[in-house]
Order: sequence, then structure tokens, then C-alpha cells
Amino acid sequence: MRSQIYAWNGNGFGNPVAAFAPANGGVQISVFIGGFGNNITMPAETTATEFVVIEDIACTPSIGTTAGSATAMTADAEQLAGWLQNAGEPPVAGARGYVQVRINTTDYFLNPDNVTNDGVPGQASPYPRSLGYQPSFNLYPDVYVLPGQVWDVRYTSYQGANQFGGAGAATGADQNVFCKYTLYDGPDALIANKLLEMGISINPGNVDWYKRSLLSAQ
Amino acid sequence: MRSQVYEWSNLAPGGAGATLRRGIADLAVPVPANQATDIFIGGIGNNISTPAETTATQFIVIEDIACSPWISGAVQVRINTTDYFQNPDVTQMPGVRGFASPYPRGSPSGFAATGNPTTYNPDNLLKSFDLYPDVYVLPGQVFQILYTTPTGTAAGANAECVSCFVKYTLYDGPDALIANKLLELGVTINPNNVDWYKRSLIEQQTRSAVAATAAAAGGQA
Repeated sequence: MRSQIYAWNGNGFGNPVAAFAPANGGVQISVFIGGFGNNITMPAETTATEFVVIEDIACTPSIGTTAGSATAMTADAEQLAGWLQNAGEPPVAGARGYVQVRINTTDYFLNPDNVTNDGVPGQASPYPRSLGYQPSFNLYPDVYVLPGQVWDVRYTSYQGANQFGGAGAATGADQNVFCKYTLYDGPDALIANKLLEMGISINPGNVDWYKRSLLSAQ
Repeated sequence: MRSQVYEWSNLAPGGAGATLRRGIADLAVPVPANQATDIFIGGIGNNISTPAETTATQFIVIEDIACSPWISGAVQVRINTTDYFQNPDVTQMPGVRGFASPYPRGSPSGFAATGNPTTYNPDNLLKSFDLYPDVYVLPGQVFQILYTTPTGTAAGANAECVSCFVKYTLYDGPDALIANKLLELGVTINPNNVDWYKRSLIEQQTRSAVAATAAAAGGQA
């Protein structure tokens, strides 16, 4: 088993497939194969001998403001300093971003009326975390991706075209998504399946406990 | 069982009414003073299509509520027609202040409503309030999350953006049945205890199967 992360940046850390630009505001994109920022070569999926447990998702935070004129936020907005505030656009500084998990074709986060929503707001699960932007949300219980399933982390930013990033930099470079997961492969994936059958949470501690119990039974 | 979140902001296209879908042209919708606004179907900002309610096979555990700390906002939980937070004299109150449960966590306590750019207070609020024990929404119940501000938001270009946040766990299907069973037993409903109950059922079945096999073997002898 291995602890893994995937970090996405709208400008692909300087080497994007294509920059996540203002025209993509309001459009939900895959951070793996969406065609913006840094991508991977194929959809994220588990093989027959893999089991993935998604433990955390987060994205660029935002914070409420009032309407203004084209002005850059100052240092008191902490990590959002430099983001533009503009009249006629959402009175929010920052990405106004949301992150959703999709397993096969099913979105994980729903509204109370059972309609798919945009996912976890960056305000609730900020990335990066800082003194001024701390998480209200904890992905518990974890999300399990069973062997053979396709999974996706999808990002939406509802920021206006003129305040889509830092001053003079609407290149997506200010927009980030983070995903932390644990990959169980080989015998660990078999044990993860067994734990799932037994109704036991799948985490490294419980996988190790099951291994120890097998050894002591021998 | 699934961890779920719902975020409300007073933002809608053109700065008026409600919307089922967020958009890049959303502007601040005025929030009236001293009026509890349902964040699900209150007609302000982003809303959902029907009142929030659990079906016969759903059980909801509300684990956290929070709201913007500015303009003295507060957030209340209502189950059917009963408000969860009350004054000591059992009269109504607006609920948990954003000062006690700020959203986003670490946010400034307020900002200057005029001038560009927005000037935030030099503080980072942490939560003083923890929703424990959790709030249970039983199958068939309707629940509301209500936002109230004593001042209302400013008008026009100085209208503040305010938000509310609710984190809950949805137990559906067999998990909801187990949640009901745990409630009967007086055991706290959380993912760990639901898993514990499943394990105890499986162990019970295994023991019964072993006993039946042993009994059958004894009968043959």
C-alpha cells in the first residue's frame, strides 16, 4: 500500500496541456484528463488487483467581499492577495472553486434533494491550507474505488472572467486542486476487499491488523 | 453512507432571487434584516428544487454548521417545525453565530463594506462551537438550515456576500436501517458504529453457522 497525492494546477505548473482560462469558468472539468492544466495520459482507474481509498480533496479557497472596481486584493486577504475584485462580477475573491468525486458515472456529492451538486467548496476544504483558510470539511467516511472502477476528480470555478486569477494572470496558475489517496495493490487489495466484506474501515492500520491476524492463525 | 456538504451564498444571476445552478454572472442578492432565510428553498441565492427531507430509507446526521462571521450572521437548524437552538428561557434565538462557527474557518471577523479593494479585519477566527452531539434527521422528517442577520446586507454595490455551510452524513438503504437500530439502542450514530453493528451481525451469523454445522455433525454421530 502506498500513500499517493495528485496536485493539479490550472497552468500545469508552467507546462499546461492548455491553460485553464476565464472561458472555462462555470464548466466542470476533470483534473486528470480534462485538457487543462497538468493532465495524465488516461482516465484514472483501478485494475483487478488495485483498491483506492480517497482520503482528502481540496481546492483553491475564496472569501466573500462586496462588489468593487477592478482592484487587486491586498495582503490582508492573505493567500488570495492579488486576486481581482471587480464590479459586475461575483463579490467573491478567489477561485470560487468546487471539487467533486465521480466513480464510474456517479457523482459522490449530492444536494439534499438528491440532485448532483458541484462538490466540496474550496472555502470548506482549502488548498493550500493556511492560517486564514482552514478546513471545515473532512472526507470521512473515505471514498472507496473498487477494483475495475473508473474514478475522477472534477473541478469547477465560478469566478467571473475579469477576476479569474491574480492581477494580469488569468492563466489558471492561481487555481489548484489536491487529492490524497491510498493505493492498495496486490495482496493488500485482496485484504481491502475482505475488510469491505466484513464492514471494517479500510485504512493501513486495519490492513496490517488483518495481516497479523492471518499470521497468528497460522 | 456518504459524507455530504451543502454551501449557500446569497449569489444569483443579476443579484436577484434564487438559482438552482451557480453561474459566473452571480451577484449579491440582498438579505433582509431579522428574517430567517432557508438556505435550501428560501428564494435567495443558490437553492435546491424541493425542501430538504429524508425518505423512508434515509437517515441524516448533521455534523457541522457554520456561516460568514460578518454582519453578525447566525445559523439555526429546524427539524420539521422545531428549532434546535433555544435560549435558556426556551424562547427563539437565531442560532449559532458566525463568530462561534465561522465559514470559512480562519476567516476575518469582518471587512469594510466600502472602498476598493475590500479591507479585512486583521484577525483569523477559529471555531468556538462544535456541533456535538450531532443532530439526527430521522426518516420522513423535513429539515431546514436558517440564516439570520440582524442588519441585513447593504444595498447596491456595497452588498456583502454571505455564506452558510452544512456538513452531514447521509445513511441510506441498509445503513439507514442500522442507524435506526443504533438510535433504539442509544448508541451514537457515526460511520464507526454503523460498521461495528455490521460486524456484529456478521459475527453472529458466523457463530450460528458454526453451531448449526456442529449440531448437524453431532446428530450424524
